[in-house]
Amino acid sequence: MKTPAQVTSYIYELERVGLSVEEIKKAIIEFASNSKKTRFYFKDMEKAVQEKIPTAKAREIKKAASELVNEGTLIYFSTGSTTMYGLKERCASDEPQQ
Amino acid sequence: MFEPKRPQKALKYEELRIYTDAELNNYTEEELKEFKIKHEIPKVEELEKGPWPSFVADAKQEALRRRKLADDRMMIDRYVVEDLLGQLELSFNDGETHWKHGGIVGVFGYGGGVIGRYSDVPEKFPGIAHFHTIRVNQPASKFYKSDFLRALADLWEYRGSGLFNMHGSTGDIILLGTTTEQLEPIFYDMTHELDQDLGGSGSNLRTPSCCIGKARCEWACYDTQEMCYEMTMHYQDELHRPAFPYKFKFKFDGCPNCCVASIARADIAFIGTWRDEIRIDQDAVKAYIAGDIVPRGGAHRGRDWGKFDIQKEVIDRCPSQCMWMEDGKLVIDNKECVRCMHCINVMPQALRPGKDTGVSILVGAKAPILEGAQIAQVIVPFMKAEPPYDNVKEVIERIWEFWMEEGKNRERVGELIQRVGLPKFLEVIGLPPAPQMIKAPRSNPYIFWKEEDVPGGFTRDIKEFRARHKR
Repeated sequence: MKTPAQVTSYIYELERVGLSVEEIKKAIIEFASNSKKTRFYFKDMEKAVQEKIPTAKAREIKKAASELVNEGTLIYFSTGSTTMYGLKERCASDEPQQ
Repeated sequence: MFEPKRPQKALKYEELRIYTDAELNNYTEEELKEFKIKHEIPKVEELEKGPWPSFVADAKQEALRRRKLADDRMMIDRYVVEDLLGQLELSFNDGETHWKHGGIVGVFGYGGGVIGRYSDVPEKFPGIAHFHTIRVNQPASKFYKSDFLRALADLWEYRGSGLFNMHGSTGDIILLGTTTEQLEPIFYDMTHELDQDLGGSGSNLRTPSCCIGKARCEWACYDTQEMCYEMTMHYQDELHRPAFPYKFKFKFDGCPNCCVASIARADIAFIGTWRDEIRIDQDAVKAYIAGDIVPRGGAHRGRDWGKFDIQKEVIDRCPSQCMWMEDGKLVIDNKECVRCMHCINVMPQALRPGKDTGVSILVGAKAPILEGAQIAQVIVPFMKAEPPYDNVKEVIERIWEFWMEEGKNRERVGELIQRVGLPKFLEVIGLPPAPQMIKAPRSNPYIFWKEEDVPGGFTRDIKEFRARHKR
């Protein structure tokens, strides 16, 4: 059983996350569209989002980025040892051709 | 007792097989001797001449098998293996690689597990224009049924090159070479039919791996298989959706013999240990001395080493010199023991690890990719390791939090500790400095005082000091 205080903080947390996921997604897309490089590290994306939304936690940014990947807006780019993110439309031409 | 995190599927291997054994054994020894692949590969063939088995010989067998399989029994190019060897010959001639590494390949929802690879000379070697690698999460301790391996090999023969690697350094089975179109079907078949997950690659938690542990080894100080399974299942998101600065590896060793070499390879190594005393059976010690029991469990018997000498072979070899003979009995000063395992390895019937067991947690090992190689260092000298491992998870998550915050892109946690210093790392993780963390605690000042911890701070009245101490 959760105490009333825990329940309140839990709801508050949910609201905070619920409210900001869309905002975080927007911030990610904005960064991904305007960044100099078409592919970027998670850490750089995190910094850019936190400049806009200082309260956003790394975990929430990751959650939002995963949702964007599942929606097909963002894509992963992996060398095998390192993973980067990119906006699908900007990276389409990056894929090595046959 | 082992409890799976989700219902285990009963696999019907006979239904999972794609080929019959006769279909795969489709060439004779004579045909293999006569067989020439479609490219001239004199330099690659040099590799077959050494005393060891060669991957070139194996690859030729697979090339011949694919030549003779029916057209509709392979989903990718028949000549994939021959083109692979051909490109290798070209690389030997040119002195440079012809692989393009990396790319936007993957399976839906996963950020790792598939490594994109393309040939930069696809017109010469069309069979390997795409040659993606797939990592498969190995079962704990790499215990397989041969039925499982046959089913997996069949799937790979059908949808991939038929070549695979047992095992990559993280422990995964590495399936070598397929095309982009085949990735989703392979992922579906593997997860839905074979009940088998992909491993980790990229800036992820990599596939955790463990030694054979309590399944086969009496020295295991904790259940490595259970802990490996628990961590793999608990950290699925970290395994499949990359958000770390770089790769991150867990390895689980049941005792300090370190059979999976966690101390040299894992960002967090969990090494079994004990905090009570080594158990001694004095009768067995006498039997070893008398020559009634063969030392080292019979290992290294290839030549005559002479009569077993406990002084030379055990006592003098102890790195902390914590053991001696007294009235015909072996005595160990356990508080000086550094858990090197040598005496236990030599006399396994006489000596056994203690009963109060747990893990030592070591952090920061890595191979030399960006910086030089590093070996792990002790962060937690002893911790109990029992399900649900909440104490261990707390340490892991604190390390991740700090590394994700402070680590630079492509910086391993070991490099981060080097950059910020161990005292700072310990402070952030919330652990006290301990003598076990360093090699020579008696001479190495491993505790750094902070100004607020010292009465009067770092400033002092020099005149008052000089009044008492002449220059």
